[in-house]
Formats: sequence, structure tokens, C-alpha cells
Amino acid sequence: MTAPSTTDLTGIEDGWTQRYGHWILLVIGVVALQVAFGWVEGFPALLDHTFSDPIDDFGRWQQSNRKSHWLFTGLFTPLSTGVGWALDTVESFLLWLPWFILPLAVFLAVARSKSLRLAIVAGLAMVYPGLVGLWEVTIDTLALMTIAVFFSILIGVPLGIWGALRPRAEKVMRPALDAMQTVPAPVYFLPMLMLFGIGRVPATFATVIYALPPVVRLTTLGIREVAGQAVEASEMFGATKRQTMLKVQLPMALPTIMTGVTQTIMMALGIVVLATLLGAGGLGQEIMETLSLRRTGRGIATGLAVVAIAMVLDRIGRAAVVTDRASLPTRRTAFIAVGGLVGLTIVGFATGVTEFPEIWETDIFDPIDNVVVWVRDNLSWLTRGFNDIVVGEFYVPVRDLLTETVAWPVLMFIGGWMGWRIGGRGLAIFTMSMMTAIGLIGMWALSLDTLTQVVAAVLMSVAIAVPLGIWAGRNRRVEAFLGPILDALQTIPSLVYIIPAVIFFTVGVIPGIIASVLYAVVPGIRITALGIREVPEESIEASQVFGATPRQTMFGVRVPLAAPTIMAGINQVIMMVLAMVIISGLVGGGALGFETVSAVKRSDLGKGIEVGFAIVAIAMILDRTTQAIADRLRPPPALH
Amino acid sequence: MAIEQTEDAAPTTASLSAVGVFKVFGPKPDKALQMAAAGEPRDEILRATGNTVAVRDVSFEVTPGETFVVMGLSGSGKSTLVRCIARLTDVTRGRVTINDRDLTAMDDQELREVRRKQMSMVFQHFGLFPHRRVIDNVAYGLEIQGVPREERHKKALEVLDVVGLDGWGDHYPQQLSGGMQQRVGLGRALAVEPEVLFFDEPFSALDPLIRREMQDELLRLQADMHRTIMFITHDFDEAIKLGDRIAIMKDGEFDQIGTALELLANPATDYVREFTEDVSRIKVLTAWHVMRPHAGEAIGPRVGVNQSIDEILVVLLGAEDAVGVEDLSGELVGVVDREAVIGVLDTES
Ligand SMILES: Nc1ncnc2c1ncn2[C@@H]1O[C@H](COP(=O)(O)OP(=O)(O)OP(=O)(O)O)[C@@H](O)[C@H]1O
Ligand SMILES: [Mg+2]
Repeated sequence: MTAPSTTDLTGIEDGWTQRYGHWILLVIGVVALQVAFGWVEGFPALLDHTFSDPIDDFGRWQQSNRKSHWLFTGLFTPLSTGVGWALDTVESFLLWLPWFILPLAVFLAVARSKSLRLAIVAGLAMVYPGLVGLWEVTIDTLALMTIAVFFSILIGVPLGIWGALRPRAEKVMRPALDAMQTVPAPVYFLPMLMLFGIGRVPATFATVIYALPPVVRLTTLGIREVAGQAVEASEMFGATKRQTMLKVQLPMALPTIMTGVTQTIMMALGIVVLATLLGAGGLGQEIMETLSLRRTGRGIATGLAVVAIAMVLDRIGRAAVVTDRASLPTRRTAFIAVGGLVGLTIVGFATGVTEFPEIWETDIFDPIDNVVVWVRDNLSWLTRGFNDIVVGEFYVPVRDLLTETVAWPVLMFIGGWMGWRIGGRGLAIFTMSMMTAIGLIGMWALSLDTLTQVVAAVLMSVAIAVPLGIWAGRNRRVEAFLGPILDALQTIPSLVYIIPAVIFFTVGVIPGIIASVLYAVVPGIRITALGIREVPEESIEASQVFGATPRQTMFGVRVPLAAPTIMAGINQVIMMVLAMVIISGLVGGGALGFETVSAVKRSDLGKGIEVGFAIVAIAMILDRTTQAIADRLRPPPALH
Repeated sequence: MAIEQTEDAAPTTASLSAVGVFKVFGPKPDKALQMAAAGEPRDEILRATGNTVAVRDVSFEVTPGETFVVMGLSGSGKSTLVRCIARLTDVTRGRVTINDRDLTAMDDQELREVRRKQMSMVFQHFGLFPHRRVIDNVAYGLEIQGVPREERHKKALEVLDVVGLDGWGDHYPQQLSGGMQQRVGLGRALAVEPEVLFFDEPFSALDPLIRREMQDELLRLQADMHRTIMFITHDFDEAIKLGDRIAIMKDGEFDQIGTALELLANPATDYVREFTEDVSRIKVLTAWHVMRPHAGEAIGPRVGVNQSIDEILVVLLGAEDAVGVEDLSGELVGVVDREAVIGVLDTES
């Protein structure tokens, strides 16, 4: 409210330099550095072996001491044996049950929410893997899931409670959980591999860690959300902290906690399928093997089995979140249901119907192979054309420009400049230190290669997701149509997206990019639509009252108001694309992804951890940058 | 049927008092207290220290069985005050006692004991437990005390009957209407037979008709049980209707404490006058204030000595003669005629 001062006037005169000063700085900096350092090749990898050698030494040490050192004999080996035993027990129990019990149990679990149709669909989905001869592999995967999710809940819920009770604990935990979610799943495999060797046990632990954040977060949130008056009412009756927690806070937070558990389950499924990299077997291994054998039909059949399982778990999760207690079945009904299942189990054994009947095998999918070959041959003009444009016109030139032409000090400068412009000094320093670290450990060129692929995938995803999202956000009918499809797609584990990509583009950079786009586009559309829809109706009407055209309203009001949310969607897209980097490595994407895969396969821990670090560093830079952009787009907070 | 099963037992009711209670929110309470003691206004303190002085030097006493109403506009600190008295937050300075025991000095264990045995609260947004059936909501306090299931359900059923929710025990609270939900809240508070009851704007979230109904219900219950009640409201009419004494709160301070009539007759500040001006005397004056002795003439229907003029008015308009006034035991103590009521209405305008 101070009177306008004369500085405003000089401000106008300074405007030009103020407005363009940093651009000029950028250009001058880039040119000067390029002239000065243009001859430098690559980043001086001064610390190339500094970290990887000790890790490798440790790897060798643990291999020779696995049988003698107390750390293994006393801790990791028993832990490993215990978890292995639990896995075996669950697996043989599930296989021991007459086959129809599991689909029935699924049916009953979903029927809890009173939707008969969904329950029947879910029950049938549970039958599908058996029909195509994948029953045992599926049970394999389910057993791993069960144990991993069990541990996630066992660790996650208490952590979440702790976070809700102790704000300081939450302050420490939150960034840790954030970081955990930016780390692409397979990176967790490496340390697990080191501690537990190869197999299902390290896969279980990697899954537990990866899938932990949602339970923790939503437990904390759920408890925090419990109405203050309910907690105070409990306190007013002289309840102890413990009584209030057990009788009021936890039960009232239960629906939110169950949402977290469902998310955890879905994340666990995603990584369990990937765990094939650790020799965990199950559906993931099946997919990778059939794809490399070019048995596309069987690959699709297996992929569909994963999709079916995802759907089943998602449905059960949703049914578990039902908040309206009054509509839930009574304890007696639940008792009868369980009793019925036990009875049917006995009947199954009495009549000898226990093994899944061998109706079909995956052979019935073999004809698909021929179709696929035909399509591939006849559409090659399209796929090859696409391939040539993306690879020839974008990927190769950009990668070469970044890795060969432009000197690293220039890139470093650009990174710092962008960080400074977008998020201030803190982000600039963070970006530059991460870039330095990547360079020092010798991951410079590989990282730029990966970055190029990531940028290509992100650009394509955003180009698809944002317009579709805006459309869906404005048009209820589009939303109603897309919603369920997107819902379903979002539950599908990342590995499955590789199947169509490989079918049409075989191997190379492109299938990885395509799979990333397929995977990342869904949340992009979702969040964009949400942002558009969330714009307050009043703002829209205010704009219309002034006689704005629909177009003016769209780009003058809706899009700017939705911009922070859309940016959050783009952030999500980037994170999902990064999560696919390693999977892309499986199908010939090269760069960091391939290095990770080969490091895991060769148990080359030092290298693996370096590569993992580089991926995480890229993820953190991009995450912080996009979040800083989203923050800048947000209108200033209201005054108190 | 009544809450107290043995009518002759010593009244289970307590006295409550507050002495110099301050509550300051924010980073530097000491500085803010100093400024408050120096008489600086609330805004000034907020600007200088970033602290909100929500309650400022409040003292009062509530005698056993009395209904003490705190009335003030939004943000005047009523909730904060009642939460200080119930020790849902700690006072920044001052003392609160219940039956002369210092509540502010108790440790957690003692406080829990007092809460279990002596006090209860009814909340503005009910604070019910949506995951428990109505009966288990009402039985909650007893459950906390470790009363066995059967016994506490028996008690809860009795209380449900008292608050007019007979037969609703197996529903979940969210299946009930707002008014019924607050009956659950009331029942939950009554089930532990507290000596002191706190109400923080319990009826504000209800629509006017239901609100009136709940007020009557509370009056009816209180006539039987004689609890010590501290009742918060922003509605002066509600304050007059329910309160034996009323405190007017403004900017964290009490402007005046007194009966409705005292406030009306001698408003201590302009602020109090503003409220009382809007209130029609016919709501405050009762039959007792305007009756004259019975001189043997014919009388029509009878009214209670505590009924307000506006209630009598309706009766009077429908009657041929003057109405009789009877006391609580039903004895005729006087009559009210049209002239007396018209006299009140005249001074009104
Ligand atoms: N936890 C808190 N932290 C900071 N300030 C608070 C807190 N609780 C209340 N206040 C402030 O104290 C003042 C009094 O608030 P209080 O809720 O007691 O008012 P009230 O009279 O109950 O109002 P209402 O009718 O809106 O319920 C307000 O200015 C409020 O902003
Ligand atoms: Mg209040």
C-alpha cells in the first residue's frame, strides 16, 4: 500500500536488462565455455573406481565369507532362510488348495462391497491364468507378493503411526520416502543382491522396500485426518493415548490405510514381475523368456495373466476400502463365507478335484504369432518410418551433440543456469553437484544417452497426455469413457507395456521409448484432466460473464489455473519414464538401463551401484526441477 | 428413567473456577503476556510478537448445579477458554480448579482420573465415532473405564432412552440426522454421570427448529440432574434461555458476568449493550417478574413461574381471564393479566 516511488520509473528503464539479462548471460556463458573447452573430450572420470572398487571388494569378501562371517551366519542367512521358508509355505499352501478355492475367495472378497458383477469378473479373472496353463507360475508370483506385502504392512503401519504421532519423525521420514519413490525399482535389487545373493529372497526384500512408501504415508495421513473432535472426545473420557489410538484413531483411519495398502500391493506387483532379473521366477521371467524366444502369443497370454492378477488385486483392494460400515456384511456372514471355503476344500479333496484341469495350454495363443509376424511385415513401412524419424532425426543427433560436440563445462553451466532460473540458488547448486558426481564416477556419456531417450519419451508422452487430459477434463462424456480404461491401465505393471512395443518394433531404442510412453501417458492424462476439472466453476463463470469465448476461457482461465496440477502430471510422467529406463535396457535401449541389467546379471555390484546412482541422480534433478516449476506456477497463497 | 437412580444420594455435582486464565498461541508467549498485562490490544500484540492472545485474564466461578453460559462472537476465544478449562489445551497462565482441586497442576494420570469420573464434553461438530454403533458411542466412556461390556450396554440403553433415542442403538451415527447425532453426543457425555459438563456450541450446527428442541431437551434433563454446566454459545437468545448466569466475552476477555436480567438492566460496556438492545425483554422477563398476588378472581389456564413473557403471551391471548402462575410444586403463587404484559411490551418499543 506504499505510494509508488520513483524506483518504479527507473524500473522501466532497467526493464530491458532485467528481462533479458539472464538470457544474455546464458548465451555468453555457453559460447565462452564452448570456445575455451571445446577440445575437452568427455568428463574427467576422476573417481571412476573410487567407489566401485571397494564395493566390488566387499562383494568378493561377502562371497567368500558368506558361510563364516557372523553378519551372514547370524543375520542375513537366517533371515534369508526364514523368508525362503515362508515363501515356500505360502506357495505350497496355495498349490495344495483345490484350484477353485482361490477364485472363490477372490469372488467373496470383492462381493464384500456388494457389487456382484465386479465380483464375478474378478473371480473369473483369477481363473484365467489356469486356463492358459500358467497356474503354477502365477501362484509363484502371488506367493512372493503375499510375503512382500505382509512385510510392507508389518513395517509400514507402525512407521506411519510413528510419523503421525511425532511430527519430527515425520519430518525425517518424508524426504526419505520421497527419495524412495524417485528411485527406479530395480535399483533396489543391487544392494539386496549383495546381502542375500540371487533368487526370490532378495526379490522379496527389494519389493518390500520399494512398496513401503504408500502404506507409511497413508497411515500417517489417515491418522492425522481423524477429526480432532473425535480424538478430543476420547481424551475427555480419560482415555490413555494407547486407548485413543486403538479405539478411535486407527479404526477411523482404516479406510485410508487400506487405500495405502492397495497402492502398496499394486506397486509390489509391478516390481515382483520385474524381479525376474533376480532369478525370482514367476510371471515376469515367463514374459522375458517368451519374448526373447519370439513366442509372441505366449508372451501376450502371460502378459494378460499379469493384467488379470493386477485387476483382481485392485478390486480386492477397493472392496476393502469401503467406508460405509452399515452396508458391510456382518461378522456372521463373513464367518459363513470362510466356513464355506473350508467345507469346499474338504469336498475338493474328497472328490479328488484339486489340480487345475488342463483344458488349454498357451498353445492356443500360438496362432497369434503368425498374425503378429504378418502385421509386423506389412506395417513395417509405418514402424520403420517412425523408427527412422525418432532415431535418425532426434535421438542420434541430440545424443551426439550432447556427448561429442558440446563440452561438459557448457552442459554444467546450462544445468546450473536452469536450476538457478527455475528454483533459485539451492536448485542450481543441487543440479551442478549431481552432474559433477555423475561425471566423476564415469557415467557422463551413458547418462546423457539415457537423458536423450528420456526426453524423447517425455516429449511424446506430454504431447499425447496434455491435450487428451484437457479434453477429458472438459468433456464429461470423454471422461466417463476414458476413466475406467485409464483406471485399468494404471494397474498394469510396467513390464507388460514392453510386450506390444517389442511386438511391433522388435529391439532397439524405440521399443523402450514406446513402452515408456504407453506407461507414462496414463497418469499424465489423469492428472491433467483432474487439474482442468478442479478449476472452480465460479472462475469459469466469471470469465464467461465478461463475454469470453470458450477458447478465451480455456486458455485465459482454465489452463493457467490448472497449470500447477498439469505440471505435477508432467512430473509424474517423467518419473514413470525414468522407472522404465531399466526395462528399456532389457530390450536394447542401451545406456544406463542396459548397464544395470548387465551388472545385475553379472553380479557386477560396483558397476551396478554406480549406474543406479546415476539414474537416481537424474531422477532427483528432474523431479526437483519440475516441482520447482509447478511451485512457480501456483498462485501465491491467500493471506491469513 | 432419570440418570440418577438413587434420588436421595448426595448431588453428584461440582464447583468449577478459573482464576486469571490466559491462553496465548504463538512463538513468544512470555513477551505477549507482558504486553497483555500492560493492556496492549490484541492486534498490537499479534503484530509485535506474532502471538494471538486468545484468552485474557479470565476469572469466574461456577457453583454446583449452575448453568454458566459464555457468549461471544466468532473468534472471541470461547472455544479456547472452554478447552483451557477442560484442559484440552494447557493454560499459558492462571489456575483452573474443580472442587477446589487444581486442574492445571495435575499430571496425566490424575487428569485422566478426573476426566473419567467428573467431567464430560459435548462438541460443536459432535465428535462422534463413525466406526462404532450408536450404543458403542454412548458406552465409550464406560468402556475406557473398563466397565464390562454387558453392564455398559445396559447403562447405554438407559441413557439412549433418556435422550430420546430409544431403539437407535444399532445404527451408525452417520445414519442419523444432525439433531439425533447431537443427542448421541449428549448421551455419550451423560453416560459416565459426570459432575461437570462442557458444551462448546453444541447446537450451532443444527437448524433453528431442531436447535430449539434440543435446548428444551437440555433444560428438561438439567431440571432432573442438576449438573454443573459450562455452555458456550454465540447466540444471545440461547444464552438467556439456558443460562443461570451469562458471561459476555470479547477479544478474549469477559466484559461482564451476570444473570440475563442484570445484563439487560445494567450493561457494563457498550458491547454488552449492543447485544441486549436486540433482545426483547419478553424473552427475559418471566411470569415471576410481572405477576401480582391472586385476589380471588377467576383465572384461566396456568403457567409456570419461570416461563418467559413471550411464552405466556400465547396462553394469555387464548384465555378469557388472567392466567394463574404456579411454582414448581404446582402451587398458585400469583396471576398475570393482560395489562401487565402490555406494560412490558410498551417499554419494549
Ligand atoms: N491452535 C491455535 N493456534 C493459533 N491460534 C489459535 C488457535 N486456536 C485458536 N486460535 C485463535 O484464537 C482466537 C480465538 O479462537 P477460538 O476458536 O477460541 O474462538 P471462538 O470464540 O471459539 O470462535 P468460533 O465462534 O469461531 O468458534 C482466534 O483468533 C483464533 O484464530
Ligand atoms: Mg469455537
